[in-house]
Amino acid sequence: MASVTFKNIVKKYNENLILDNVSLEIKDHEFVVVVGPSGCGKTTLLRLLAGLEEITSGDIEIDNIRVNDLPPSKREIAMVFQDYALYPHMTVRENMSFALKLRRFSREEIDKRVNEAAAILQLENLLDRMPRQLSGGQRQRVAIGRAIVRKPKVFLFDEPLSNLDAKLREEMRVEIAKLYQKLNSTIVYVTHDQVEAMTLAGRIVVMNKGIVQQNGTPLDVYRKPQNSFVAGFIGSPTMNFMDGKIVSEKDFFYFQNKDVKIFIPSFVFPEAQDYAGREVTLGVRPDDIILDSAKMDHANKLSATVEVIELLGHRENIYLRLGEQRILAVGEAFGELSPNARAEFSLNYKNLHIFDALTKKRINP
Amino acid sequence: MSEILLSLGQVLSFMLLIAAAIASVELYLWAHFKYHDKNSIFYACALLFTMFAAFILKAAGFLTANAFLLFLLFEIFLIFASKKLLKGKKYLPYLLSAPAFLGLAALLMYPFIFQIYLSFHDLKLTTIMQWKETGSIPFAGFKQYLAVFTVPPLAEAGFFKLLWRTLGWTFINVFFHVLGGLTLALMLSEITRLKGVYRTLLVIPWAMPQVVAVLAMRGEFHSQYGFVNVMIKKALDIFPWLASLGVAPVNWLSDYPLLTCIIINIWLGIPFMTVIILGGLQSISKSYYDAAEIDGAGYFQKLFYITMPLIKPVLMPAVTLGTVWTFNNINVIYLVTGQAGGTEQADILVSALYKAAFTYNRYSYSAAFAMVIFLILFAISISYSKIFSERKEGKI
Repeated sequence: MASVTFKNIVKKYNENLILDNVSLEIKDHEFVVVVGPSGCGKTTLLRLLAGLEEITSGDIEIDNIRVNDLPPSKREIAMVFQDYALYPHMTVRENMSFALKLRRFSREEIDKRVNEAAAILQLENLLDRMPRQLSGGQRQRVAIGRAIVRKPKVFLFDEPLSNLDAKLREEMRVEIAKLYQKLNSTIVYVTHDQVEAMTLAGRIVVMNKGIVQQNGTPLDVYRKPQNSFVAGFIGSPTMNFMDGKIVSEKDFFYFQNKDVKIFIPSFVFPEAQDYAGREVTLGVRPDDIILDSAKMDHANKLSATVEVIELLGHRENIYLRLGEQRILAVGEAFGELSPNARAEFSLNYKNLHIFDALTKKRINP
Repeated sequence: MSEILLSLGQVLSFMLLIAAAIASVELYLWAHFKYHDKNSIFYACALLFTMFAAFILKAAGFLTANAFLLFLLFEIFLIFASKKLLKGKKYLPYLLSAPAFLGLAALLMYPFIFQIYLSFHDLKLTTIMQWKETGSIPFAGFKQYLAVFTVPPLAEAGFFKLLWRTLGWTFINVFFHVLGGLTLALMLSEITRLKGVYRTLLVIPWAMPQVVAVLAMRGEFHSQYGFVNVMIKKALDIFPWLASLGVAPVNWLSDYPLLTCIIINIWLGIPFMTVIILGGLQSISKSYYDAAEIDGAGYFQKLFYITMPLIKPVLMPAVTLGTVWTFNNINVIYLVTGQAGGTEQADILVSALYKAAFTYNRYSYSAAFAMVIFLILFAISISYSKIFSERKEGKI
């Protein structure tokens, strides 16, 4: 088990900047999920750590040892690939023992480790099958087994669930969480799926355009997104954003654009005075839109037209329209609202997110 | 002018004949499927075919009782076979493949059957006039097949000597084809710049007509003006100590004809293997190599554990084909060792067969010889595909 440190990593393909000065510390036993849209550089970061790509500048350390110039096999890492990369001409057992065979482990040691891993992953009955005879989920488990037998310092997962169907993906997600509890090793997990990130991670690293946007616990990232990109990327359904200005009226501050005027309590945004008159983006999650009149702030409530209602079973997505502004709210299924009706709502003030329209950075605490 | 018109007319009438043959077969097939429950249609067809045959034979000046009888028998066989074999509702495949089948019949089956016929008779320089005048050749039974193994086809070498030489020739050639092809393909797959240029250059020997390529190379092995000896001489001028190692210009064509042939044929055969193996290499997913690298495999380990097993599905058919082609390769040997009256030191089975037939005019003997070669190749191909399919099944 080991810690991993990225120091000012820059990666360029010719003139294309893929990673821009990425610094990151991963502690021992930590499950870190790197999440971001496709092309954000997250897989490149993982491949740099694995040693499959060369670093343009910067240092990578595993256990405080600089590994920039070490070949992948010497870095004591194991990687699970998106397409599993199981050797198609080898049986499951051969696939899992290949790395050990290359390292000249004894026959008994190899068998012991392979059987151990097979027991953990329930692969005992599949050891003599060929990869093509396995289902997607089984292949995935073999790929993980191939990593486990190595007993590496760091496990690298490169979008391991993206080739599975939705149901299997959920199952495997639980399996990976269980596996982490069992192995308790350092894991770097790359995904574009924010649900995987939220559920699996001990720490989330959100990346976009080769830059680390935010680095923190799942709750941190969800509750206090540091910029509007993170706010929009993490959370489902997506956060509502409104562009407007901070205006002050009689000692109170409001967020205003031509469609809405929203009261901003001072505990939400103590520095509002400094931003008065400036362009900001207000973010509010669908869950933080209060439609229940018992909980509503009646003094500052807003009124909108219900546009569409999407029933999801246990709840529903309610699209509200205020002028040109569309706002998504979620409510209990079979609520009182129906399309084209008027709806009144207020916001859950303590979960308001205010971003500077120019820098996109969070400005409220 | 009139001669040109005459020949044009002949060509045209020949093409018409082919078209008529195809049309009649198509018509027959159509009728066969449409009225296959009516026997009368078969009699009608038989009658029509017979008249057609009589007309053709008459026009070609071959109308003898024997030929006519043979044709009748063939036709009855065809009609009964078709009645037995062609069943079902899907007749379009038969209609569409009939012209190709006719072509194959004329170009492959007829010569093959005629060869079998020849191999059981005795056609040679002394009986060929008899054949021309009476249309019959003395029957010989298995005498020709016995002669294949006892009577040498050439002045210097008998069957078994030629067989060993052929096997050696085939093995060495195919071995170096695969080795060279693999090396070049591995290099080509690593190259990223000017990829197309290198590939084009390497494929030239294969794309060029073989005759041109072989004759050009033959020139390079000329003892006085050939590139090879010229380079050896230059090397000796620069490094005189080479001479003490025994390096000296060699009379390639007269002293080492087989070696020269092998070198030329290796050069000719490598591009094909390169192209095939390169195709195989490019179909291997890059992620296997990533996985192997993380597993700790070095270059040669990746080559033996990943690359080789994964290109086997494309390599095996290529090796089978290469074996058959090399075993049967008369072009290189015929062109390098001089067409007639040249050395016999480089002859393999097929080139010996060619000489037996067309230099020594022993037609029936050659026919039997060709049958023996065919059976050897047949056995090789069968065993290759057996080994290959067994391995495949063993893995599943």
